[in-house]
Amino acid sequence: MTLAPEKKTKKPRKLSMKARYEALTRGLDWEPSYVTKEEMFPHLEYEGIKIHDWAAWEDPFRLTIDAYTKYQAEKDRRLYAVLDGFAQGQGHLNLTDAGYLNAMKLFLQGVTPLEYAAHRNFAYLARHFAGPGPRFAALCQSIDEIRHMQTEVHTLSNYNKYYSGLHNWPENHDRMWYLSVPKSFFDDALSCGPFEFLIAIGFSFEYLLTNLLFVPFMSGASFNGDLPTMTFGFSAQSDESRHMTLGLEAIKFLLEQDEDNVPIVQAWLDKWFWRAYRVTALVSQMLDYMLPRKVMSWKESFELYFEEQMLKGLFEDLAFYGITPPRHVADAVQEKDVLSHQVYWILYQFSFAAGFTTTMPTPEHQQWLSQAYPDTFDTHFKPLWDKEARNIASGGRHFTRGLPQLCQVCQIPMAFTEPGDPTTLCQRESEFEGEIYHTCSNGCQWIFEREPEKYRQAWLPVHQIYQGNCGGPSVPEVLEWYHLQDGDAGEYLGSRDHTNWLTWQGEAAAETASHENKAGA
Amino acid sequence: MSITSLGEYDFPSRSRQELYGDDQLVTLWFQDTMWWCSPVMFRAPRAMTWADFWAQMIVPLAEEDPDFDAATARTWTLHGAPFEPQDGMTLTELGIRHKDVIGTRVAA
Repeated sequence: MTLAPEKKTKKPRKLSMKARYEALTRGLDWEPSYVTKEEMFPHLEYEGIKIHDWAAWEDPFRLTIDAYTKYQAEKDRRLYAVLDGFAQGQGHLNLTDAGYLNAMKLFLQGVTPLEYAAHRNFAYLARHFAGPGPRFAALCQSIDEIRHMQTEVHTLSNYNKYYSGLHNWPENHDRMWYLSVPKSFFDDALSCGPFEFLIAIGFSFEYLLTNLLFVPFMSGASFNGDLPTMTFGFSAQSDESRHMTLGLEAIKFLLEQDEDNVPIVQAWLDKWFWRAYRVTALVSQMLDYMLPRKVMSWKESFELYFEEQMLKGLFEDLAFYGITPPRHVADAVQEKDVLSHQVYWILYQFSFAAGFTTTMPTPEHQQWLSQAYPDTFDTHFKPLWDKEARNIASGGRHFTRGLPQLCQVCQIPMAFTEPGDPTTLCQRESEFEGEIYHTCSNGCQWIFEREPEKYRQAWLPVHQIYQGNCGGPSVPEVLEWYHLQDGDAGEYLGSRDHTNWLTWQGEAAAETASHENKAGA
Repeated sequence: MSITSLGEYDFPSRSRQELYGDDQLVTLWFQDTMWWCSPVMFRAPRAMTWADFWAQMIVPLAEEDPDFDAATARTWTLHGAPFEPQDGMTLTELGIRHKDVIGTRVAA
């Protein structure tokens, strides 16, 4: 058979960016014919949110899949070039100190798995929203999140060859006591409906607090010689700003669709601000205690990224819709002077059971803390470190053998104090169907009492250990179940990482000296 | 307010007393020192006497505080109300329930 020569046709007309976007997103939407719309999107009614016009969703970024992949591939190429160069040049020796990596261990164990959880959750939104605009935006974010998980793992894997605590992060995340804080936060969001999830993660976490979580880690990296993490940070930053814009569009869309949505959204905002804020407690101690070279204090960071940008900027705009600042925000503002100290004090005494090490702040470090926190450090926290210094001088090291009482909601040990009184621990007790439950703050108690049926199922590490579900009821059995290896946990000074660091720095100095001698000869 | 859900939503507590058999969880809160980052939680038999709870559980832990002295007189609270533990009485006889918080400070 002979084929007729192909007829020369006119070159297809190239669509404008806007038209292309329309064709590839909204143009691919269809009306179901053999099921109803309610059957196709079964999760959209029960939360009480009313959407009258899905087409009113303004797409903040007119991005198509081909443009998206091209752009992300370019960023990845740059990142992987930096990773290769860093590995080949033994870049890890240029960090400020091996102790810096405790911050990155916490990041890999605590934050990276959240990227994966976010990937799953946004995929759920991409399936369940009835509008093609938000569905496509959620799909892009879902892909971003799995990329972030992968690039974070690749970025930090180079350190795993030389340092402890980075070898078992997915299991750490599922099993270890302090990691139940971020894990339960995302599990809580995943078990919500699609609209609550959008406010929980898309808005409260990604918009309100992402700068408090993400920026401190990335600036910490740049201040401490961690070029790979800094490059990853740059690569992710443009995605993060897209996620923030999506979060803001989401809340405005829900508020504009129906007045009845306002009280529902306000309650979610009240709940999820506090849930997300409690997760950032781990970041607060990282900034003030874990970084050898400081970027800014938690207090400064909170004032800049939250009080200035959110309370003064965002919530003034949202007042137009009848939205008020989150219910317990005043408690968070009051806590900025004490939060990081209280959280590090927990980690310091329980780091024998953690995937990182801790150490007492040096005199210079304490001086910095005292300057950064003139109203609280010298009065309330320095005396504890002075006592620990005496304890260490007489051969001790404050590791608590007992297990801490945990908050039923945020799952952090009950270490926080009454608002405005740093000398009294905050204990809140609630009773539900004959059982008592404890929470660490007004915010967590309010969240518990709103949905006690949900939070009574919390997988609280201490309770699970006592039930024998974590390898056995004793501490050594639990540590084995955590799969901790020598050097992962405990005191930093004299640890495997610290000893190796001193040896490698000594070798590097000797090598430089010998080169100089040869050059001089 | 109760939870908004797709279907019936009623699941038991993951830390209900029956999961601990003859034991229960008891929390001790040292109210006059910040040495302990938080109150400490124990799993203790409900039939344990106060004397045993003190000697076998509290003291070995509390001795990690260099300032702790087991012989010092202390005051106690249960649910914030003054409480007089009796050495020979069991935790249950003393009215200490599952997950209760016992507060203590050195007597003035």
